[in-house]
Amino acid sequence: MIGSTRSHAAGPVVVYGNRWCGITQLIRRTLDRAGVAYDYVDLDANPDVERRLRWMLGRGFRQPLVYVAGRWLEQPTPADLRRALMLARAA
Amino acid sequence: MGSTRLHELEEQFAALGESIEDSPVKDALSVLHAIVHEMRGGDATGAVTMAPAGPTIEDVANLYRQAPAMEGTAESGGLSIGTEAPDFELPDANGTIVRLSDFRGRPVVLAFYPLDWSPGCSRQLDLYQQELDEFARRGVEIIGISVDSIYSHGAWAAVRGITFPLLADFHPKGEVAKRYGVWRESDGFSERALFVVDGDGVIRYAHVSPYIEHVPDIYDLYAALDEVGQPAVAA
Repeated sequence: MIGSTRSHAAGPVVVYGNRWCGITQLIRRTLDRAGVAYDYVDLDANPDVERRLRWMLGRGFRQPLVYVAGRWLEQPTPADLRRALMLARAA
Repeated sequence: MGSTRLHELEEQFAALGESIEDSPVKDALSVLHAIVHEMRGGDATGAVTMAPAGPTIEDVANLYRQAPAMEGTAESGGLSIGTEAPDFELPDANGTIVRLSDFRGRPVVLAFYPLDWSPGCSRQLDLYQQELDEFARRGVEIIGISVDSIYSHGAWAAVRGITFPLLADFHPKGEVAKRYGVWRESDGFSERALFVVDGDGVIRYAHVSPYIEHVPDIYDLYAALDEVGQPAVAA
């Protein structure tokens, strides 16, 4: 996916956010703790990525933006993320 | 549609976006893509929402989302690494007095944050709550400190499910924040700052957020805690 360099057997998960953002950290740690492989794309370090994400969403967005196997989650809660991961595994 | 096929289409859409010049047509295609996502159920949460009869606890917990922004650059630098951490006595939400010296012999993380209920903080402490087992695994206690009263701390901890101590640096207001050099005179609350105090009461890690809305990086904190857990190298 955009800015991501890895592929994942169980469907790609990519977190677009910033290191200083509390929600980005919460989401990344939720994935770490669940043992889910994911790519992290830092928006401060990759300013060009935001334009491409706007193209995918048709608008601006609040970070973190999380891509889970074809679906987009904007600023999800850990519970939202867990549901999305379950749906992706079930599909 | 399966996740794999959907992912392939998303990849295709992303690639095509790169080959189209910025134009109203490109904007229209982007909006159309967003409409398709909305129509298939918005994001992937699969959540079904029911209109509640009144404000729920979740509504109260999420008030920070509509709260006025809290922004600003750091005004104070904080105590340095190697400094002896000043002792303090502050009440927690139950009114129990907590002293830094109570923790002598094991490391403790002091998390100074501006205010309960404010934007940014909420998620910082949610993060620490989620990570309590990671702190425990490292033999570390974590404590939140702000200028809010014990009653505010009690309500705030209840709606967010926070179980670690929140101390009230309430009277004299901000005295402990001042001792640690993390007071914001212009705002009347503290910087967002972390101190790791080792078992001997010495500051081994210190971080003051350069912008108060920035939450310190948890991965940096873990790296610091892992280092504190190692025996000190003799000079």
